[in-house]
Amino acid sequence: MLKFFSIILRNKKATAGMLIVLAYIGIALAAPLITSHDPLKRVARPHQAPTVEHSMGSTRMGRDVYTQFVWGTRTSLIVGFAAGLIVTVIGTLIGVTAGYFGGWIDETLNFITNIALVIPQLPLLLVLAAFIGQSDPFMIAMIIGLTSWAWGARVTRAQTLTLRKRDFIEASEQIGEPSWRIICVELMPNLLSIIGFNFIGSVVYTIITEATLEFLGLGDPLAVSWGTMLYNAQTSSAIAVGAWWEVFAPCMAIVVIGVGLSLLNFGIDEMSNPRLRTLGAINKAVKAQKKFDQNYKNAKGATS
Amino acid sequence: MSFILRRILFYIVAFLVAASINFMLPRLMPGNPIDIMFANAGNTLPPEAKKALAETFGFVERPLYEEYFIYLKSVFSWDFGISIKYYPLTVLDVLMMALPWTLFLAGTSVILAFCIGSMLGVYAAWKRGSWFDSLVSPSALAVQSVPALVVAITTLYVFGLVLQWLPTGYAYAPALDPGWTWSYFGSIAYHAIMPVGTLAFVSLGGYLITMRNNMIGQLGEEHVVMGHAKGLTDSRVRYNYAARNALLPSMTAFALSLGSVMGGSLIIEIVFNYPGLGNLLFQGIIARDYPLIQGQLIIMTLAMLTANLLIDFIYIFLDPRLRKA
Repeated sequence: MLKFFSIILRNKKATAGMLIVLAYIGIALAAPLITSHDPLKRVARPHQAPTVEHSMGSTRMGRDVYTQFVWGTRTSLIVGFAAGLIVTVIGTLIGVTAGYFGGWIDETLNFITNIALVIPQLPLLLVLAAFIGQSDPFMIAMIIGLTSWAWGARVTRAQTLTLRKRDFIEASEQIGEPSWRIICVELMPNLLSIIGFNFIGSVVYTIITEATLEFLGLGDPLAVSWGTMLYNAQTSSAIAVGAWWEVFAPCMAIVVIGVGLSLLNFGIDEMSNPRLRTLGAINKAVKAQKKFDQNYKNAKGATS
Repeated sequence: MSFILRRILFYIVAFLVAASINFMLPRLMPGNPIDIMFANAGNTLPPEAKKALAETFGFVERPLYEEYFIYLKSVFSWDFGISIKYYPLTVLDVLMMALPWTLFLAGTSVILAFCIGSMLGVYAAWKRGSWFDSLVSPSALAVQSVPALVVAITTLYVFGLVLQWLPTGYAYAPALDPGWTWSYFGSIAYHAIMPVGTLAFVSLGGYLITMRNNMIGQLGEEHVVMGHAKGLTDSRVRYNYAARNALLPSMTAFALSLGSVMGGSLIIEIVFNYPGLGNLLFQGIIARDYPLIQGQLIIMTLAMLTANLLIDFIYIFLDPRLRKA
């Protein structure tokens, strides 16, 4: 674990992302400590602008936006991580199975994956959610998890296919290792970065999609989450009457966690693929080279 | 043309899967499917319309596979039933009124975003490490993680309500009569600026990053070095040698992104009160108009499959290897 963090700290993007995500987890864990009352309790006049007492203002119903934001963080994070986990497990299972076994298994699974990719996600989710009725956040996590695995499966399969041809896998097969051992011991460690990338990406996707579904009125309006905050703001036309603070808090919450997780993801990606590095790293290299040249010249000057 | 044939076969199967989901869902829910589907239709629908709806969806006392074929038959004859909210209009009528607006909105913005994003990506990769690259690429990463919903709400608030520069709803000024007049098309363009701009902005970053990464890969290839060595102009090497090859994987990413563009379009239409499929769907969800919601999935899948087919044709144009056999 410590080693993991020390690797993360080497990359600026990943460090910034990690800090943001940890801050959110802190808010979610400390929710009962940093709020003083139930998020659904009426504590202020309707649509009160931010004051010292209510730092993020109040909603149309006179609920404290700050309290709702804090408790909403809890819901959104749990839903995000739960669905991200489902997406990753299904995607990895299908991708690795298809890529490793090949033949008709690969063709069937790849066919299913491609179909899942080509059917538009959001309309499908909307139909599912509409039939299930007013779904609580966990139901939403389930349906997002069960319908969004295709992208991950595709990427994992592609990576498995390239690993499959490597010598060390062939060697293990020659020795007669069982398939489960090759998959778990030889393949998995080499797939970890892609699986991690898939997981973090899915968490972002789920948090945004959950908020969207609830914004569209397919969630449980009594649940406290960023999506229902936006839904309540939309139905009480908060923007039209100028109560921007009712929308600002959930919007910022979604944007910042999205940016944080993406930074973490791109940081990790850059670490594993140096070709993608942008200016910072290149400049550093150029500077190091110049410094080296300078020292070299100086050293040469000193000896001659 | 076995490539195109295979693709078309694949799209037909994908379409069947979408139709089957529609068929299965009401039957998987607990309780009587007819009650679920038409729970809100009690007061608005006359009994004979309800009966016609039940027949369209195959709710007849037959073995399941026969019900399935009855449903498939109605789907393939473009019979999606009657809308509960907009009775006596059929689902197809209602959808067809909204579809052109969504195609216009999604089509314009996706083409804009792809062209601008890819051009910027090509340039960022070419000038890798310059101030341009270090400004544009990280911002594209940041933009990519901002959801359409948030961008739409912010744009609406800033440009529509605070500054009041642009209209906050409708596809054209309600006072105008549709017709082949300049004022009508002008009004459409004026009303489209915010939704199209928002949707293009949201999807632009992804195309930029994909193109930049592909292009960086291409620039290290030998044919690019060869182009330089032959003394070709920079722009010829950039576009005809590197960008053309980098475009292939970009097209795959483009095809995959269409679904999310469509989703983004739904959300943006709702926020900007634009009369497309998304807005219609929102009304349908509020009224629990199940035939309408299901028809929507079919129409959107069809739109998606058609777009993918078009991309396949572009693929053949870009990649000569696919033309033979």
